[in-house]
This record gives sequence, structure tokens and C-alpha cells, in this order.
Amino acid sequence: MANFSKKAAIAGYGATEFSKNSGRSELKLATEAALAACADAGINPSEVDGISTYTMDNNNEQEVARAIGSKELKFFGQTSGGGGGACAPLMQAAMAVATGVAETVLCYRAMNERSEYRFGQPIQAQMPTSDNLIFAYHGFQGLMTAAALLAVSMRRYMHESGATQDDFCNYAMVARKHAARNPNAFFYGKPITREEYHASRMIADPFHLLDCCQESDGACAVIVTTAERARDLRQPAVLINAAAQGSPWGTMGLGAYYKQDIVPRDECAAAARQLWATSGLSPKDMQMAIIYDHFGPTVLPGLEAYGFCEYGEAKDFIKDGNIEVGGTLPVNTNGGQLGEAYIHGMNGVCEAVRQIRGTAINQVADVENVLVTAGSGVPTSAVVLSRDV
Amino acid sequence: MSYGSSGSAAPAEEKRHHAPLSGKDTDFYYNGLEDGQLLIQKCDACGTLRNPPSPGCGACSSMDWSPHALTGTGTIYSYTVHYHPPLPGFASPHPIAVAEFEGVRVVGAMDGTEPAAMAIGKPVTIEFTRRGEAAGFRFKLA
Ligand SMILES: [Zn+2]
Repeated sequence: MANFSKKAAIAGYGATEFSKNSGRSELKLATEAALAACADAGINPSEVDGISTYTMDNNNEQEVARAIGSKELKFFGQTSGGGGGACAPLMQAAMAVATGVAETVLCYRAMNERSEYRFGQPIQAQMPTSDNLIFAYHGFQGLMTAAALLAVSMRRYMHESGATQDDFCNYAMVARKHAARNPNAFFYGKPITREEYHASRMIADPFHLLDCCQESDGACAVIVTTAERARDLRQPAVLINAAAQGSPWGTMGLGAYYKQDIVPRDECAAAARQLWATSGLSPKDMQMAIIYDHFGPTVLPGLEAYGFCEYGEAKDFIKDGNIEVGGTLPVNTNGGQLGEAYIHGMNGVCEAVRQIRGTAINQVADVENVLVTAGSGVPTSAVVLSRDV
Repeated sequence: MSYGSSGSAAPAEEKRHHAPLSGKDTDFYYNGLEDGQLLIQKCDACGTLRNPPSPGCGACSSMDWSPHALTGTGTIYSYTVHYHPPLPGFASPHPIAVAEFEGVRVVGAMDGTEPAAMAIGKPVTIEFTRRGEAAGFRFKLA
């Protein structure tokens, strides 16, 4: 049994603006978000003695530490999985502060993945690393983009669950509705209609353009410290109640078609089993959730894997209005990565912090516990954040 | 013949192909295509078939294996049709299937098949072709 439950807390968060062209380096974005998180927590950046980020961040921990003036790092690293790793740094940070390895851990994601490179482009790897050989094996058949690789899995989900394109549209409309009210969202003031969804061009069947997350420039960061210390800092402590990684046999960094279930959910279900066991909580204890939406349709198996619905029932759960603000389980109240920005899941972590503090734009009433998930269809991670009561 | 690298087994195969990216664990697959064969691996210890290439058997951990050629008819387990952005080497829209042969899944291009004809459960056969300099294959609806 994991023994770091509620021993660590998010004491502060920071973010840059979200755009399509930040006009500055990724390292500068990381530095800005890190300093904003320190200021929010009320700690001096020199106190940062741990850094935990996740793969596909181009900002080396030492360079960030050098820029913010961290005196000495005792703990640093990147967890794997790209967007699937979004919540894993919180787990690493919680373990580090619970064991005393470090006291003040910075977690961040900073990228110019719209202006400097494009995540949506075909993956053409050069070095024969184990991951790249799998990308190359699929790429040789013309299966080369993240959209197409996940589309294969979601076609199977449609076959098994009976979910339709219109069910996917229902999620996209909710995300854009939430984003439309969020001034920090790229799509602020821009909700979409059902007609616009269906008219948007096909990217990889069954994903329309409006099913795809944005390509964004921006950065988010949080500061994790011990729960005791967080209680003495300027913001209310947001407790790390449970955190887990999920990677059953056959999991791959996209394209895991060779295990029994190819729907992007069994890695999520693996993380879910650990979360609910270690927190003693269940899905019905969550007042809201951040469910990773690299592609909007994957929110359906995500809701099912974490236990909010039975397999195949997410389409009706969404259609009945449950995931909207005012529903039984508001989801992605910031507009998600379809509507706010694609900061590889870290903007969802920041939204959960705001919701627990009671400072979100689309505030849900009386939030005690929030599930935050990371990318699915890849090695994944998830966290339950809780109010300090 | 054993292709494994444990004990006194034969060394890794020579690279005889022009695939854009391959390594010592995957060369046999692309070499097989040069020979007009779609190869997967069969564990010498427990007989389990596996794909895509891996040095070890996930069922029994043995590293001894032999190549196994897939033939005949498979079934589409899932698919996508790629539309955007443009792909190097393939025209869009470009259908791609995950097909099951002997209980093992294999990804194959389905260029030449109408996107509207793609469906889970349909039978496919293997057709060998060239992909630029490299030997390749596609699935065709049976
Ligand atoms: Zn075996």
C-alpha cells in the first residue's frame, strides 16, 4: 500500500498565457511558469530542491534550476509517457517529499509545440531506440500521426460500445462551451455547433478536426511540498491524496494493438485500481474530473476506465448532461485541451488546483476531491487531489 | 534455425533491406519482406506467436525464437483512414488496418482500397509491393 497519501500538497501553481506563437523560448516559458508557481506558493525559488517533469519536455531540469536560482537539486528526473506522464511527476514529488528526499519540488511542462514544431505531424524517427523502432514499424504502413494511431483504437471502441460520431460531437461541444467562458482559453468566446463539428474536416477517421486537441505554446508549473509546510504557506493546501501510474503488459507509446484490449482504457483502469485502493475513495466521491482529451472521443473510455460509468455507457452519461458545469460530474471545466490549450495535461492539473481552492472561472460548488488523468493509449498516470479539511 | 541471441544461437541476421529505420531486433521482419514473406516470431520454448518484433517472449521470457510466415486470410480487427496532414510516401486518404492472422495482430497499409469499404470483420489477404527502395506489403479485401 502506497504510504504517501495526504503527506504532500500542491502549494502553488503558475502558468503563462496560451497561444499559437509565444515569441520566446521554451526555457523562458518554463522559467516564467516556475517563478509564478513559487510566487503563488510564497516560497523563494532558491528553496526548490527537486524537479520532476515528464518526457517530451525539452527543458532540462538543471537549466530550469539555473534560471530560477535553485540553490541545489537533490532530486530530479523525467517520468516517461509524454502526455501520459502528466500526473506522474506529482506522484514522484509526493514520494520525494514524503520520504524527505526533497522538500520543495517543482513540476512543469513548457512547450512551443505550435510555433517551433508540430505534434500533429508524421513521426519520422532517426535513432533506432526501442520506442522509435515501434513508431517506424507502424510508420512503414503510413500510420504515422498521433491522431491516426489513436483513431485505430477509437474505431474499435465504436465497434464495441455503439458510440457514434454524434456522441463524440457531444463531448467536443461541452469542452468548447466550457472554454467559451474561460478568458484564458484559446477558444474563449468561441463555442461550436453540432453542424460545425460535423462539417469540420476529417483528420483520421473517426477524428474530425474538432475532436483534436490544439497545438499550443505555453507553460504550466506547480510546487509540491509537505502537507505540513503547505499549511503554513500563503495558499490553501491542495493535498495529493493518491497518485498512480498505469502500464499493463503490452502498453506502448501509441499503437498498442497487440494486447487483448486495444481501446485506450486498460492502462487507465490499471491506474484507477491503484488510486481508489490507496485513497479509500471511489468515483462517486469526486465532485468533478479532469479527463485527458488529446482527442475528445477518448474521454468516453476514460470515464469508463476510471469507474464513472460502465463500459459502453459514457455516451449516454455525456448526452444526458452529466459532464457539464451543473451536472453530476463536471469534466474539463477549463475547456479541456480541445478548448483551453494543449499543455500536455499540466493545464488540467492547474484547473483542479483552482477548483479545490474555489477560484475557477467555471467553479463547481463545494469541490473536495478531483480526479486528474493523463494521456490514454500510452503509459499513463493519474492523481486524486483533495481539499485540506 | 534459431534467431535468438542467448546461449550459442546464431548471431543477428545481416541487414538486407532498405527500410527507413530498423535495428538488430527488427531486421528479420524487413528482410522477410524482401523475400516476399510477412514474418512474425514464434517462441522456440512455448510456441507462442508474437508481433511486433521483440527479443523476448512475453508468455515465457525465452529469447529463443524462429520466424513464422503469415499467409492466407486475416480479419480486420480495427482500422483508420488517414486524411491529414499529407504523409510521406502515401497519398491521402490512406486506409490502414490492424488485421488478425492466427490470433496475432499485424498493421498493414490498405492503399488501393476505398475508404468507404473499410469495416471491422472483413477478410483481407496479403499483397507484396515496393515502397520506394524498400520491399513492403499491403492488405487487400479478400
Ligand atoms: Zn515463450
